Amino acid sequence: MKVGILSFQGSFLDHSKSILSIGATPVLIKNEADIYDLDALILPGGESTAMKKIDSYLKVFSVLDDFIKSGKPTLSTCAGTILLAKEVIGGDTTIPNIDIQVTRNAYGRQTESFEGSVSFYDNNDIYCFIRAPKITNILTDKVEVIAKHNEEIVGVKQDNIVALTFHPELNNDKYYLNWLDNFIKEGENVRTL
Amino acid sequence: MKIESTNKVKRGLAEMLKGGVIMDVVNAEQARIAEKAGASAVMALERIPADIRADGGVARMSSVGVIQEVMDSVSIPVMAKARIGHFVEAQILDSLGIDFMDESEVLTPADEVNHINKQNFKAPFVCGATGLGEATRRIAEGASMIRTKGEAGTGNVVEAVRHMRTIINELNEVIACDENEVVALSKKFRAPLHVLEEIKELKKLPVVNFAAGGIATPADAALMMQLGCDGVFVGSGIFKSGDPAERAEAIVIATTNFNDPKVLAEISKDLGEPMVGINIDTLSEEEKLAKRGW
Repeated sequence: MKVGILSFQGSFLDHSKSILSIGATPVLIKNEADIYDLDALILPGGESTAMKKIDSYLKVFSVLDDFIKSGKPTLSTCAGTILLAKEVIGGDTTIPNIDIQVTRNAYGRQTESFEGSVSFYDNNDIYCFIRAPKITNILTDKVEVIAKHNEEIVGVKQDNIVALTFHPELNNDKYYLNWLDNFIKEGENVRTL
Repeated sequence: MKIESTNKVKRGLAEMLKGGVIMDVVNAEQARIAEKAGASAVMALERIPADIRADGGVARMSSVGVIQEVMDSVSIPVMAKARIGHFVEAQILDSLGIDFMDESEVLTPADEVNHINKQNFKAPFVCGATGLGEATRRIAEGASMIRTKGEAGTGNVVEAVRHMRTIINELNEVIACDENEVVALSKKFRAPLHVLEEIKELKKLPVVNFAAGGIATPADAALMMQLGCDGVFVGSGIFKSGDPAERAEAIVIATTNFNDPKVLAEISKDLGEPMVGINIDTLSEEEKLAKRGW
């Protein structure tokens, strides 16, 4: 299994570690040629404004858009979720693929960053939220809520896409890795549009 | 459950900055140019290091007005510098809600014995280092990110290269050593034993390590990335050059594509004049900022 990780800037090496520890092969995406024969895609945390700027030179987002729309498993965390949202408050839309509205830096500055309890499917654990966005609206009923911090929505799924606002890649706990392994493998059965 | 300012959250922000460029800016206009060029954070300063060097005198924390102006003008993280050992400057920056603090040798040190106890603050700290001993002492004091000191404001990358190579060679010595040698290495590097034990277990520094001090061109940034650092700080190199916006953008692309000489060649075309550099051996010992801190 080959999993592409957008590697312009941010926590792409942490995701790479997660992929290695489930026995798959990480591919660091820096240009179009890297998006070849991939089974799944990860859009990591970092600064969404920096990633957008870098893409204006490297031009891979339109190819990633086709990949995501082909139905292959796609995971985003934090800034990656901003890239995928159909509506962005405090920023621009980038590769709009998931029917949510997100608000950038919604908790405030770094001093408001925190470790918080998250129910992710049927598991409870503590994850980092770092200058995180909030999912402030769900735009269609195609979106399923899969993770909550207290009453806040912090993770959603729509078809082949899972978008999170926290950082499971900084934990790499057993539950997450097991989920990731299944999520990527399920992609083998996904119909190509 | 919700806990703020844990070590993991502080080190986590540094993880998110990796592969990126942190740019020195002195006002809102420069901050917006930096953000637009793809900076992953900005460092708010009253004067950039080249001007601090030229002006002489005591360099202190920037005015609160400048820092707030920059914080209000961009959506990316904003950093600011406090003098070495000046924990009250750090308290003030913390109360402003700054995203990251740099206890920096670029400013005139306030304490010749003690660095700030960085555990006491909500915001994470980055500190300069010339070798593994200094890096690990700062980590033990609570630094969440390390950078090379280099020689700020010179546009000369030689010191940053020296510091990066020293840190990596010393790291490799620790990682490769027999477990019975760790105590002796702790004495040799004047490095806290518990940090060396953490390094041995992780086979790397426990925090992110950036390059800083003298980076002026896209090639400089790519050099530092190929040497193994996680990202770069660019100070005077951008706003002391002929075309800051173009150069800032080119350094961002170079930091992402550090291993691709074709891309590096393409972005290095038509960049305008780089900042005028200073040869380190023309500086007297007192003029060398990297000597500050211990």
